[in-house]
Amino acid sequence: MYKKTASQLHQAFLEGNLTASEIASGFLQRIQFLDEEVKAFLNVFADRVMEKAEKLDGKRAAGQPLGKLAGIPIAIKDNIQVRGEITTCASKFLSNYVAPFDATAIRLIEEEDGLIIGKTNLDEFAMGSSTEHSAYQITKNPWNLSYAPGGSSGGSAACVSARLAPISLGSDTGGSIRQPAAFTGTVGFKPTYGRISRYGLVAFGSSLDQIGPFANSVKDIALMMEVMGKPCDRDATNIKKTSEPYLDHLEGSIQGKKVGVPWGFLEGLSKKERSIFEKNLEVFKQAGAQIVDIDLSLLKYSIPTYYILSTAEASTNLARFDGIRYGKRSEKARTLDEIYDMSREEGFGAEVKQRILLGTFVLSSGYQDAYYKKAQKVRSLIIQEYKKGFEKCDIVAMPTTPTPAFEIGGIQDPLEMYLQDLYTVSANLAGLPAISLPTGKDEEDLPHALQLLGPQMDDGKVLHFAYQFEKTLKLTGFIPPLFDKETPS
Amino acid sequence: MTVSYEEWEPVIGLEVHAQLKTRSKIFASSPNRFGDEPNTNIEINDTGQPGALPVLNKEAVDLAIRFGCGVHAKVATFSKFDRKSYFYPDSPRNFQITQFDMPIIIGGEIVADVEGKTKTFPLHHAHLEDDAGMLKHFSDFAGVDYNRAGVPLLEIVSEPCMFSPKDAVAYATTLRAILEYLGVSDCNMEEGSMRIDTNVSVRPKGDKTLRNKVEIKNLNSFAHMEMGIEAEIRRQIQAYSKRPHEDPRLVVPSATVRLDIDKKETILMRSKEEAKDYRYFPEPDLPPIILTTDYIEKIRKDLPELPHERFKRYTEKLKLSAYNASILVNDKSLSDYFEEALKFSSHAGALCNWITVEFVGRFKDSEIDLTTSGILPEHIAKLVTFIDNKKITGRIGKEVADVMVQKPGKDPEIIIKENPNFQAVHDTSAIEPFVDEVLSAHPQSVEDFRNGKDKAFNFLVGQVMKLSQGKASPDVVKELLIKKMLPGK
Repeated sequence: MYKKTASQLHQAFLEGNLTASEIASGFLQRIQFLDEEVKAFLNVFADRVMEKAEKLDGKRAAGQPLGKLAGIPIAIKDNIQVRGEITTCASKFLSNYVAPFDATAIRLIEEEDGLIIGKTNLDEFAMGSSTEHSAYQITKNPWNLSYAPGGSSGGSAACVSARLAPISLGSDTGGSIRQPAAFTGTVGFKPTYGRISRYGLVAFGSSLDQIGPFANSVKDIALMMEVMGKPCDRDATNIKKTSEPYLDHLEGSIQGKKVGVPWGFLEGLSKKERSIFEKNLEVFKQAGAQIVDIDLSLLKYSIPTYYILSTAEASTNLARFDGIRYGKRSEKARTLDEIYDMSREEGFGAEVKQRILLGTFVLSSGYQDAYYKKAQKVRSLIIQEYKKGFEKCDIVAMPTTPTPAFEIGGIQDPLEMYLQDLYTVSANLAGLPAISLPTGKDEEDLPHALQLLGPQMDDGKVLHFAYQFEKTLKLTGFIPPLFDKETPS
Repeated sequence: MTVSYEEWEPVIGLEVHAQLKTRSKIFASSPNRFGDEPNTNIEINDTGQPGALPVLNKEAVDLAIRFGCGVHAKVATFSKFDRKSYFYPDSPRNFQITQFDMPIIIGGEIVADVEGKTKTFPLHHAHLEDDAGMLKHFSDFAGVDYNRAGVPLLEIVSEPCMFSPKDAVAYATTLRAILEYLGVSDCNMEEGSMRIDTNVSVRPKGDKTLRNKVEIKNLNSFAHMEMGIEAEIRRQIQAYSKRPHEDPRLVVPSATVRLDIDKKETILMRSKEEAKDYRYFPEPDLPPIILTTDYIEKIRKDLPELPHERFKRYTEKLKLSAYNASILVNDKSLSDYFEEALKFSSHAGALCNWITVEFVGRFKDSEIDLTTSGILPEHIAKLVTFIDNKKITGRIGKEVADVMVQKPGKDPEIIIKENPNFQAVHDTSAIEPFVDEVLSAHPQSVEDFRNGKDKAFNFLVGQVMKLSQGKASPDVVKELLIKKMLPGK
């Protein structure tokens, strides 16, 4: 059962080959036996998911209509609010914070009968590229347990990779879905900015954040987008356009279509990564597409631009964690200032503090023009450059990351860690839909990946190209060997 | 030391915070209502829950536009929100959402009557923002009530265009009237729905440059505002006079003060040198407000009669004195009361007198006022009509008014019917002796009347009325006089 994609599980449930309870308990069992090693989950909703599954079985038996996600277990990154459950954001600050409401994405999943199975680990407040910055546990890469799964949505990536859940939700502010997808051999999609409501997603960089799905097939991603990519009046930045039939757009040849490659920007790619990337481009050629060179030279400024804007927004978004209304309050604090200082000192980890400081600095009077305002201008230019680039091609292809997964503890220098986001942040800065696809594994058995980016609002096109790529590549049974086994029942 | 106050010119500018009369809050669905149990009118935005997102209330925008149209300002077709960062427990996100550099309303003017002179006070701008909660101090702890958090505010900023405390009071009085007439705010200073920060500086008469300004915080009545401004002007002039040769910037540094009502002095709260860096930057959760001119014009067409228009109508059409007209116009509820009474009587002058002098006077030392007393405007109109028709005399009218105040809602017609002393005497036999007495006492007037002098007739009527202590029916008196003086007719 664990080898099935989400769509296959849903089909099996509809056809009566598997009950929702069988599916839910099967995955709960895998989590119980295997998550010890992966440490993807912060919280497993065993009772909740079984109760929901039994209800679904009842609904099916009674012949009632069933939702698009009926029978599919879905894991949720622990920075997305699920009403009545704890939302930690992998921070000590929120260790006892119970969500008072459902995120829109969660509401939509439940309306379509999805089975919310638990909450997954992340870098604290989604700040990091390795999930090592969780205050609770270090998540392992299922392909090699001494390697990091990437981040910040490392738990969501790892659980789908190890088949502890067929689908998970992540959030992507600068690559937090795509980079861990690349590291764990899963498909990870960051939709157009505003496509999925951010209501209920704990904000990091509000103008960059997007919720998106992880899965083991593009079709499953398309299914999730049909469910979650809907207008929401609780998010003012949400796209007020009705959901697209993404699944219907997957088929159709890409013969003669143009795949743009910013060769200039990719100059720094290592020899090994370049050859992997070129092989992936061959797959497109095989599918009948042409490869064209496009100029995206401004992307070399995307890392500093991103770290200025995201930390500026984060410094204010995280100001609400003050020890007054909810979450951590230092027991040592005696005065108001001490409540602020000590609660934040004790509640936040080092990476979060560093980013709050950086963000506060770039917004400070006297420095705002040199940093924040300049970064805003560069962001506008990057958006322009992408617009021009898309006049020449249908889709842009790039590697997802500069390297495959690294060892846990292998990157100590924060600046080196920030470079993990080199190829992913521009999609967030420009608000573009972007997907990371597994393309095979290297000699060390670590997955490698390809990233595809489309014009704003063209989520369907990105999924179409991704699906055609997947179909042409025919990467089958791409399961980490350690987890490619049944668990005792 | 002698200080010559005449050599100095005060310069005053006002920042008025008006709470907008919307049903719900500016960025949340919770009700905008004063006086409820603490923390009952709140939803996730009002306590800054993680994952909550602000959504702009269209009603607040419409009211801001209404104000802009009402003061002949430019309504910006593009304006935006910004985050203003500071930590305080009443601020649920520790940043306020305000409009920093692109406000919705630009310019405009307030035309006010200052001691009989019409003056025009230019506005700088008005912007939308959210109100904070309220701190409540108990014996050994403090609590926060977030009911007020997120209440929409319009901050109306004048130019430094007032040159005396009287100017400032006239400006504020007129501004309040405009806000009330437009239905933008109920401007209740006691409940804090209108709050005034006053900026005061002084300069030697003839100087064109402005000196350092001092802000007087939280003046919660016009009387206090006048007192505060007077005190602050005095303080600054004394300071400059004491240290005439020093750099004025050092003599009166920019600062915030508060008024000590008992001492009638302003007291330093903090110097502006300690000014905070609010790190303003554009609010990423809210798209800009983009308005079409059609939309603005539609609201403009819908404006009600404004105070200066009503003033004009009162003085020109109803022939009220400027003094009486402004008493009514500056008090919207009284003026509306007068308008209601006008529907039942066309004698505007008499109505105005009875309302503003007789009835308002009777509530002078009372907790309640006329408009909320339960006395119907229709009844005052009826009383005026009775007097006008000579059904009762003016003197009896005053007594009837006393009863109306004692028994609010009681029809004067019934009051008169129930009390024989209030009824005009129609009985010929009771009036005849007075007529005979007057005729024999004034033979010359009888002669004049017979020679066609109307004046003489009115005199004789008056004399009879006097003898009857105002109770005789004027019609009966007239009839008897004619019968006796011109027997054949």
